[in-house]
Amino acid sequence: MTLRIAEKKGEWINRDMPLTFTYEGQTVQAFEGDTMSSALWAAGIKVLGRSFKYHRARGLLSFANHDVNALMTDGVDTNIRADVIPVSHGMELFAVNTEGGVVKDKNRFIDRLSPFLPVGFYYKTFFKPRMMFPFWENKIRKAAGLGKVNFDYPRQLRPKRNAHCDVLIIGAGPSGLSAALTAANHGKQVILVDENRYAGGSLGYDHAADSSTSDKLETLLKQVSEHSNIRLICDAYAGGYYGDHLVPIVGKEGITKVRARSVIVATGAFEQPPVFRNNDLPGVMLGSAAQRLVHRYAVKPFHRGVVVTANDHGYRTALDLAAAGVEVLALVDMRQQSGDEQLAAAVASKGITIHLASCIYEVIPSSDKLGVAEVVLAGYDEQTASARFERSSRIACDGVAMSAGWAPAAALLYQAGTKMRYDYAVEQFVPAQLPEGVFAAGKVNGVYDLALRLRDGQRAAADAVRYLGGQDVEQIEVAQSFQLAPSHAYPIVHHPDGKNFVDFDEDIQVKDFINAAKEGFDNIELMKRFTTVGMGPSQGKHSNMNAIRILARIRQLPVEQIGTTTARPFFHPTPLAHLGGRGFHPHRLTAMHEWHVNHGGVMMEAGVWMRPAWYQPQGAKLTAQEAVQQEAMAVRKAAGMIDGSTLGKIEVFGQDAGAFLERFYTGKFADLRVGSSRVALLLDEAGVMVDDGVAARLAEDKFYVSTNSSNAATVYREMQRNLQLWGMSVTLVNLTGAMAAMTLAGPASRSILTELTELDVFEEAFPQGAIRTAEIAGVQARIMRVAFVADLAFEIHVPSSSALHIWQNIMKTGQPFGLRPFGTDAQRLLRLEMGHHLISHDTDGLTNPFEAHAGGLLAMDKAFFTGQRSLQILAAKPLKKQLVKFVLDPGFSAELPKECNLVINAGQITGRVTSIAYSEYLNRVIGMAFVAPDQAANGQQFEIRTDDGLLVKARVVQGSFFKLSAQ
Amino acid sequence: MPLSLLKYALSREHPAPRFFRDCTEPKKTYDAVIIGGGGHGLAAAYYLAKDFGITNVAVLEKGYIGGGNTGRNTTIVRSNYLTPEGVNFYDASVQMYEGLSQELDINLFYSTRGHFTLAHTESAMRTMRWRAEVNKHVGVESYVVGPEEILKACPQLDISCSGQAPILGALYHAPGSVARHDAVAWGYAKEADRMGVEIFQNTEVTGIDVKSGKVVGVQTNKGYISTGRVLSAVAGFTPRITEMVGIETPIVIHPLQACVSEPMKPWLNTILVSGSLHVYVSQSSRGELVMGSSLDPYEVHSTRSSLDFVEGLSSHIVDMFPFLGNVKVVRQWAGMADITPDFAPIMGKTPVEGFYLDAGWGTWGFKATPISGKTMAETMARDMAPELIKSFRLSRFEEYELTGEKGAASVGH
Amino acid sequence: MKLLQCPVNGTRPISEFTYGGEYREAPDPQTCSDKVWADYVHNRHGAPGLKKEWWYHGPSGTWFIAERNTLTDSVSRTYLFGQEKDA
Repeated sequence: MTLRIAEKKGEWINRDMPLTFTYEGQTVQAFEGDTMSSALWAAGIKVLGRSFKYHRARGLLSFANHDVNALMTDGVDTNIRADVIPVSHGMELFAVNTEGGVVKDKNRFIDRLSPFLPVGFYYKTFFKPRMMFPFWENKIRKAAGLGKVNFDYPRQLRPKRNAHCDVLIIGAGPSGLSAALTAANHGKQVILVDENRYAGGSLGYDHAADSSTSDKLETLLKQVSEHSNIRLICDAYAGGYYGDHLVPIVGKEGITKVRARSVIVATGAFEQPPVFRNNDLPGVMLGSAAQRLVHRYAVKPFHRGVVVTANDHGYRTALDLAAAGVEVLALVDMRQQSGDEQLAAAVASKGITIHLASCIYEVIPSSDKLGVAEVVLAGYDEQTASARFERSSRIACDGVAMSAGWAPAAALLYQAGTKMRYDYAVEQFVPAQLPEGVFAAGKVNGVYDLALRLRDGQRAAADAVRYLGGQDVEQIEVAQSFQLAPSHAYPIVHHPDGKNFVDFDEDIQVKDFINAAKEGFDNIELMKRFTTVGMGPSQGKHSNMNAIRILARIRQLPVEQIGTTTARPFFHPTPLAHLGGRGFHPHRLTAMHEWHVNHGGVMMEAGVWMRPAWYQPQGAKLTAQEAVQQEAMAVRKAAGMIDGSTLGKIEVFGQDAGAFLERFYTGKFADLRVGSSRVALLLDEAGVMVDDGVAARLAEDKFYVSTNSSNAATVYREMQRNLQLWGMSVTLVNLTGAMAAMTLAGPASRSILTELTELDVFEEAFPQGAIRTAEIAGVQARIMRVAFVADLAFEIHVPSSSALHIWQNIMKTGQPFGLRPFGTDAQRLLRLEMGHHLISHDTDGLTNPFEAHAGGLLAMDKAFFTGQRSLQILAAKPLKKQLVKFVLDPGFSAELPKECNLVINAGQITGRVTSIAYSEYLNRVIGMAFVAPDQAANGQQFEIRTDDGLLVKARVVQGSFFKLSAQ
Repeated sequence: MPLSLLKYALSREHPAPRFFRDCTEPKKTYDAVIIGGGGHGLAAAYYLAKDFGITNVAVLEKGYIGGGNTGRNTTIVRSNYLTPEGVNFYDASVQMYEGLSQELDINLFYSTRGHFTLAHTESAMRTMRWRAEVNKHVGVESYVVGPEEILKACPQLDISCSGQAPILGALYHAPGSVARHDAVAWGYAKEADRMGVEIFQNTEVTGIDVKSGKVVGVQTNKGYISTGRVLSAVAGFTPRITEMVGIETPIVIHPLQACVSEPMKPWLNTILVSGSLHVYVSQSSRGELVMGSSLDPYEVHSTRSSLDFVEGLSSHIVDMFPFLGNVKVVRQWAGMADITPDFAPIMGKTPVEGFYLDAGWGTWGFKATPISGKTMAETMARDMAPELIKSFRLSRFEEYELTGEKGAASVGH
Repeated sequence: MKLLQCPVNGTRPISEFTYGGEYREAPDPQTCSDKVWADYVHNRHGAPGLKKEWWYHGPSGTWFIAERNTLTDSVSRTYLFGQEKDA
């Protein structure tokens, strides 16, 4: 039995493209352009879902993207909004959150338990005795949630777009369209967005029956589409308002982030349901939903029905229904009198009885509780918000349209920081004070008359143009006068048996508010949290306003004193993939990256870089441990080379360069000889060790400074800041990316280097700590003796563009000498053998130099260095811990303690292992640990507790690990 | 269906009393005034009354109770901290939470789910071991687990994080729980009220009177109240209160944001945190995913939301759970977190006699609610901080005795 | 994402900037007491209001001072350190 009617002018369906899909196993015919809900409704299917809490049958309510009870799954996706998402051929749809189908949902019994489930019932039970809570929790969790997530849903990457404009207009209804034309005619670049598939807003349904307004719509749309200054985006919503006019426009394929110079909010208003018993039955819907069904999809909302209203809109709805062939049996007006007399006359002329000062007391469900059987009409007492039965009647019908008022779609205005006030003339909140560059027009601004809305759009656009500097633009006045407000001040009908729903997402009835207030939750925020009103997926679009009205009445306060809850983004729920974007995770690669990969490098993330942890030689099947030991052994016995391009590299030059470094780092640099280098230890103001690198003097006024890889950016940044602060004559150049670095280490390194450079690299000419500039393999390089991984090691810095060439040349030249590349794992072992700590590996966010045996790097006699004053304070305090080197017994063969295993003394934590490794070269397990100061003497034993709780003895080593005797 | 709900079905009148009285006019004087009607302030009031019989107490709340960070956090309770003093403190809180529904006679939905702090790098793994070892030492059930064990608890997790940040392991913390945050505030309010504590909503403190280094009273928009004891338990508003008494602290305010998805059938039965990806996520008993991230990068004293936050968070959530792409974010919000340089609270006495501070709660205030209330009540009653919170004293900064929580940089809410 | 005006590069999205904390005068380390120094190192002016702050524009490597109201998150002016009078 189809409810589809004859073609409507401007309908959104394509009758030439029929399609078929199934719903709950039943085959349904539809047209391309139908939403799931319109297709089902046209086919006479009215149970579109079950409610969240009581599992009541639900149909269409808003038909405007907040029908949260009509959520579908197509087997791939879930929680699909049936009211707005188009249906496509071959779909197999099911309602979510049912057990055994939407009609026979086994959980529908919960509706009958509702007397046992008062507001906040879950706070009052399930927890005594305590051990029972997990049992109840399990039951509650089973009942919770809407759709089932599909764990096989494919990963979506949705690139974002950016757009800029002078005026962003949100909402392409009458006020938005006219605002767009006005702004564009003033030469402004306009983006106009609308969440509907087509622009026009209420012109396309509420005023579609009038041929003059439908012509007006056509003209407006034509002008907008032809205007070169206007970009119209439909089927996309403004997700939220963020600082400085940033508005994400959420479309089907992704998000466009619009940065506007000004914003006009013309989002209209959400129609609000009057509240009476069983106002949620399938067949009871908002008047605007009924109009959209008729005009957009050519579907008759029901056969015989009643309109309940409190404004002119209800009269237009009644006329639309009658024109669509619905037998309208009554128009129930909750007001004492009708509004527009012409409208009232038109309704009467259709033979529709108008009942003034009346209400729907309740809707009687059909025997299967799946639809409407009868409506009980009664008089309405505004004072008590209750029915008066002296004028009561029953009308058999299958549907109700409700038009009792509106709530502004003001979420974006709230997010922008608009102060709203309650306007009793329109009985709604309207903007009182708008933030700079934000404007409001149309219903959201409290303007309802169609002609005035068009004018209000022009007015807002003129204001925006003036805000943008168009001083000569004339101000437009919009004078509005109301006989009767478009919204009813209290569209509530009390009923002793309840089920008069305020929030359809959460199944909240009038008595729930009354009872919440009785329990003390009588301000709007507490009431929201206790009742959960407005917390469902529709975010209170159809419930917050009535909740405020009810609370105001309970507390006997004017509505404006109740206030509103805060409207947070998003305007509509927004997919994670849209927000996540293209999943961009940038990494930096060194110039030798591909070489590493091609030579078996096992690449690991190291801060922002990718670095080889170790290499799997071609054809070999080494374990990581074997490879690391081999790489380290090569450095000790022949030669090894590591890509150190990730080091921070900063050039410091100018007449104050030395003085600058003296203030920045702990050591002395002013007296450093040209051609030599010193360790550069950086502290923060509290005296905590932050970084250590090497500062080498290239010339009197020029230093080349390295930093730890992970600190490259921050050290450079701090240098820049201090330079400004101290006002010194220094220039900084960050060469971290421009220069590559590699360290050639081991006894054979000198011989290898000799083959590639004319530079004298022997001890006398090139001692420890020296820096030289010379050509290697034809490329100008800076070469430093840095004893980090081995006593004999050359750190070679070259421009990144030549780095691979040098690297390959050295590797080739070194092959006969047994040169191997080594990765970060071997580097870690090698420096441990050398006894060097790693900052933020062996130290933490509280370690000062006294604790890390770095006192030798402090020139406390300098006038100033960062952290010095704090060190003076710390020096006077007893040490709490000390970083020491240690060895395990020779031949230790049990499971190795791990880094961060604790040092335990007499049952107390006194420290922790910071580094530990087996060294094949030393044939010992060596490490570093924090211990108590009284455990730190050379040769002293302490105990480490392993993961398994075993205590392993370790011995403090103060000298070099290489001088360990084999005992 | 529990029988306790029967009375609601049998009565037309809603047979439940007010949780707390509607106090509007404060008295002229109280034995103690607590500024801040969030979980901490209400808990302190409750324990003052219960443990020390001090019931002539006013709680002053400038908005509505539980409306600050109590109602804005992601409800995670855990004790897997880095220092023994931290672990002991939060463990005491966890133990109190476990029996709190019964004690306050309200279902807090305290749900022990287990908590995984995921490690994506070797250095994160080291920190996990450090925390695990300290936790074990103190007797808290935490240990390092490998990917298989994580997958056992959450088979839906993409262990490679879409190839972006493979998970090497995790710190598993068995007592990790979630609770209904609002109910904690309501429960404490209800029981404190029952014992005589007066709770004033919409009551803002505009000044604090100090004479000869001693608190003598507070000025409010509802008149002057004289008292010798004032507790500030106002989280993000702490600097405004300490300014009134002229106390310097290291606290700065950064927004902390969170968001929630549409409800879906429960599938995530544990609590997951990723330091590297700056994400924490659990699923509420309503079926929503509750998701949070790290602090906003700069100081702001407001609860505005940012798009950057929800974009970054979503990107990482989808890395971890690629199938969630079309699951929708319903709402985002923010709280004002009061941050200290060593990631530990500031609790106890202050240089102003009779002025007590319960602050510096950063991102870990909710989980400390019961124990902070109890220890601050004791501090106020005895004018001496108990041993458990001594290392959180304000003077530690002047003494260069920061707590060791600063050692671990990784995020873990 | 908000916008911030770099005195050298003009108005750029906030994601290009790094916050450097409030600008504070350090006491003279030679003459100040331990207590005054500790206060400088650890304590902050946490109450909301108009503050002079360090901000860093990453892509160009520019430090500058922004005068920002930390309550409303609105910036009244920005200038290079030491050039306050010319701003």
